Amino acid sequence: MTRTLANLVTVSALALSAALGAGTAQAKDFLLGSELPLTGSLARVGQGMHEGISVAVEMANRNYAGRHSFKVQTIDDETSPAKGVAAVEKLAGDGVVAITGGYGSNIIGPASEAAQKAGLVYITSGGVSPELTQRGYPTFFRINNTDGYALAMIGMLQEMGAKKVSIVYLNKDATSSLAKQVNSALTAKGVTVGMHEFDGSTSDFKPLMNKVKLQDRPDVIAMVGYENDYVGILRAAKVLKPQVKAVVGVWSLATAQMAKEFPDLMETVYGTSMLPYPVEFTQPEAVEFAATYKKLFNKDPDYLGQFGYVQTRLLIDAVVRADEAGTLAKGGLPDELRKTDANTLIGRVTFDRNGDNLNFTHRMGQHQGGKVVLVWPKDAANGTMNFPAVPW
Amino acid sequence: MSNPSMNRLLLIAVLAVAYVGVPLLFGGNAYVLGLIVAALTIAGVAVAWALLGNLGGMVSFGHAAFFGVGSYTSAVLAMKLGVPVFAAMLLGGVGAAVSSIAMLPALRLRGPYFALAILAYAHIFQILTTEMTPVTGGAGGLLSIPRFPKILGFDFGEKLGGYLIVLTVVVLAALAYDAIRRSTWGLALKAMHDTEVATRVVGVPSTHLKAAMLVLSAFITGVVGAFNAHFISFLDPDYAFSSGWTVLPIAAAIFGGYRTVWGPVVGALAIYLVDQLLFKPILPHGHQMILGVLLCAMILLSPGGLMPALRRRPVKEGRHAHA
Repeated sequence: MTRTLANLVTVSALALSAALGAGTAQAKDFLLGSELPLTGSLARVGQGMHEGISVAVEMANRNYAGRHSFKVQTIDDETSPAKGVAAVEKLAGDGVVAITGGYGSNIIGPASEAAQKAGLVYITSGGVSPELTQRGYPTFFRINNTDGYALAMIGMLQEMGAKKVSIVYLNKDATSSLAKQVNSALTAKGVTVGMHEFDGSTSDFKPLMNKVKLQDRPDVIAMVGYENDYVGILRAAKVLKPQVKAVVGVWSLATAQMAKEFPDLMETVYGTSMLPYPVEFTQPEAVEFAATYKKLFNKDPDYLGQFGYVQTRLLIDAVVRADEAGTLAKGGLPDELRKTDANTLIGRVTFDRNGDNLNFTHRMGQHQGGKVVLVWPKDAANGTMNFPAVPW
Repeated sequence: MSNPSMNRLLLIAVLAVAYVGVPLLFGGNAYVLGLIVAALTIAGVAVAWALLGNLGGMVSFGHAAFFGVGSYTSAVLAMKLGVPVFAAMLLGGVGAAVSSIAMLPALRLRGPYFALAILAYAHIFQILTTEMTPVTGGAGGLLSIPRFPKILGFDFGEKLGGYLIVLTVVVLAALAYDAIRRSTWGLALKAMHDTEVATRVVGVPSTHLKAAMLVLSAFITGVVGAFNAHFISFLDPDYAFSSGWTVLPIAAAIFGGYRTVWGPVVGALAIYLVDQLLFKPILPHGHQMILGVLLCAMILLSPGGLMPALRRRPVKEGRHAHA
């Protein structure tokens, strides 16, 4: 009896080790590269995307456990185009299968060109400049674009019934093209638009805001800039108190960080946001994403993390598909990624010939009592718009 | 062997390593070669800055202006007028030299006043570039700037080609600097440093000489800026006129020894490569701090910089040997 049992244990052990051995032989380790600004002026947004990428890798390792494993090698581009290029070249030399990351169109441009030269896929959500996709690089992909932000802002301004709008915008490529797009669309719909450009070094917005208040007398002030610009504009508006019904912005505004750091300035202000804050998720993938984010970083995810997660998840799925098809080593990843048609946390994603996601549309959130409530479009809203209302 | 002959032999050996050894060693490593190109770009500006400081006696805080003007001139000429890239690069230098003429009124200023005036000029040029949207692309800048061409089958648009171009620019700039220093002009400029009034009395056209040094320094910086525009293939006003193009070359020149011809080159290679290849992998999010400490230590221990420190050593050993 004892002998039979010993034989059984031996046979089982051999079978198990054979099975494990077979499994190990098929499993592959994939090394992804990530080039991001973790220091310098874009460090905050770069860190946000980096967190999302880390969550995607963590979840992929869980979902593909026993079959494949994924690692990400991250290099800080120090918010410098030359160091972005150097980072991509280092990652290419270290044998990464593709690159996820990049923030700022001025860094993504040369960095993705270096990736194109190295034959590496470069996927991002950090650069919305139309010129990036107009280059027609077969290895370049992005999941968001200016159109998505513009459509959200235009849609909400229409829903508000705004007749006069003052657009206050930063003179950068992405912000200028978005402001001009909103201007054209609103003007075509009979809305009177006042355009006010400002430079990145502007710290006192009172002269500009005075012009808006006395000259334009708009229903709504629309801001297109970045975090520091919004804070400066809202501070000036709080002092001068223009008679408007709403203040609307785009990226980096309807975030948990802004709600926490500037509660007095943000109340009732609108901005693009994929997520409410505190986060409310119902989809299984979204719930898992939020839980993993909380586990890794002990906080709720924000929109930057969400974008970083989505771009990396799509990349990982394409890497696995290309590997299974035997085309990964033969440069088949761009074609595989172009076949993507997925419902993600930011909606449906497909890529056109230039690597742009033409399905991208954003949502609008409003700061309400320290929370960010999604108010547009109606089918994504989790609350009602507080309108008319301003922070002062 | 006499000291000049020894120096000449050493220079030939270093150039042989630079033109043959480095391509053989790192030709296949785009990352390292890219870092060397970036270091040499800083070295080019550092040489131009040191030339203005040593020969012209002027401390500039605004070399980013020449870098930016040179890069935009070249990029716009190549993109919009179809000028061949190498010709556009030289014209970038000419553009920067012409822009320096606008700074001539500042030559009557001295010390910190000149430094601040030239800084203001840099800001003016940046604003002009931002506002001239139809030509410069405005704040959005220019993407896909033409790269260096293929000549006789050798692609100068690749990393190795870029390395050979910037190396040649830096070597020529340093040799020109050295030639001027040894010439009668150099002698006049040296005398001017000691007492400008006395040199004027003996007929030295000090303002003309200072202006010539400013124009030459601007030309070199403009050529380096133009090279960088075609190498990176991208420009925007914030990047082209970034204060980094002034601060890093100054740090490199002081680290290497800004009173010497080759000190700025050695300094740029040392601080950039050591920072990126050694400190960054060890401390990814604070490596610049180590560099700062190193720079402070160098200033305290050897105010003349790395090159004079290296030269002192054999003399000391010689003394010990005699003792």
